[in-house]
Amino acid sequence: MTIMPQSGGGVAREGGGSGGGNLYDVLELILDRGMVIDVFVRVSLVGIEILKIDARIVVASVDTYLRFAEAVNRLDLESGRKAPAQLPEVVEGMTEGGSRGKTKGLVGGAVEALTGSLGGSRDDEDEEEPEEEAEEAEEPEQEPEEEAEPAPRRRRPAARRPARRERE
Amino acid sequence: MVLYVYAITAASPSHDLDGLEGVGPGSSPPRTVTAGPVAAVVGDVSEEVRPARRDLLAHQAVQERLMAAGAVLPLRFGHLAPDEDTVREALEAGAEAYLSALERLRDCAEFHVRATQDDEEPLLRRALDEVPGVRDLDARIRAGDPDPRLPLALGELVTRQVQAWQQTTADALVRALEPFARDRVVQEPTGRDFLNLSLLVPDDRADALLETREELDRELGDGAALRFSGPLPPYSFVG
Repeated sequence: MTIMPQSGGGVAREGGGSGGGNLYDVLELILDRGMVIDVFVRVSLVGIEILKIDARIVVASVDTYLRFAEAVNRLDLESGRKAPAQLPEVVEGMTEGGSRGKTKGLVGGAVEALTGSLGGSRDDEDEEEPEEEAEEAEEPEQEPEEEAEPAPRRRRPAARRPARRERE
Repeated sequence: MVLYVYAITAASPSHDLDGLEGVGPGSSPPRTVTAGPVAAVVGDVSEEVRPARRDLLAHQAVQERLMAAGAVLPLRFGHLAPDEDTVREALEAGAEAYLSALERLRDCAEFHVRATQDDEEPLLRRALDEVPGVRDLDARIRAGDPDPRLPLALGELVTRQVQAWQQTTADALVRALEPFARDRVVQEPTGRDFLNLSLLVPDDRADALLETREELDRELGDGAALRFSGPLPPYSFVG
């Protein structure tokens, strides 16, 4: 693809990496924000929206609790402790409040959900040219750019496996 | 044949759209449709538009080209108009609002900031040390207590505390970053993120913002990291 906004592009420039950069982070902006003009028709992105909602619902679920419990149980209690994540003096001492309503995202997978949906909705909705569609759908996964790849999630299997429950 | 609509800008100066590819299969390169003081950037599409990677990048590349030349109102991905007349009518109907939005966004760009918990272990250890009941529940499970309520209770305690810590961190990050912005939008984070923040940053403050970013990154602590995207078209500030 020759589209990579290599030069002068925000997507390409930040994120400390090669072209394409933070496409995954910017996806939400491109798809969910931006101006809406009512007299124009908007193409259907239904699959994507549904998957994103799914990813959020899971956040405070039993699966999350079990995943965290398991992660705690697997800690090596003998090993040396690292300093806990904490914020700097610059911003220390702030109390709650301030930012508008939001919930925490502790479940990996929203990015995959989005990625999958790029293909999923296409596959679901498009009877024509199924082969080409499938190919395109997989593209995000195959791209070699580190930034685009949700690598940290991959590395930590415990993070995303509701199915783990079955092991207990 | 329908038109894919990318963005609205001021009619002058005219845009250099050379070399850009269009969104959609069989699309034409982007071009401008003008109505009085405002213009829309459009392209012909012959087939149905899908949010494939190539198309998202094409949409984004057009916005980035436009913003290099001046203020731009990026449309959300996927807007179609039946013909140029419809586009002109929309431009005429909204001209005043578009001009004032363009003025508001002049010499600004969006920076999108996410904070991610890449490694939860430091927080889990802290929960073990600091949250009453956690160590005890953990010990009972490790000792083989089969009560199925134990993992749930442990997980809930830890989850709530981790979320509270992350919330505090997220709030602090917003306060540290918002002085650089003319406006900001906080959205619900997804996945492993605990902050989803968009800042509308005047061009002359962008460097200072990025310097602060490095500082915050260093001080954020184990297991968490910031991700910045930008300068971007002001997607989050045109609604």
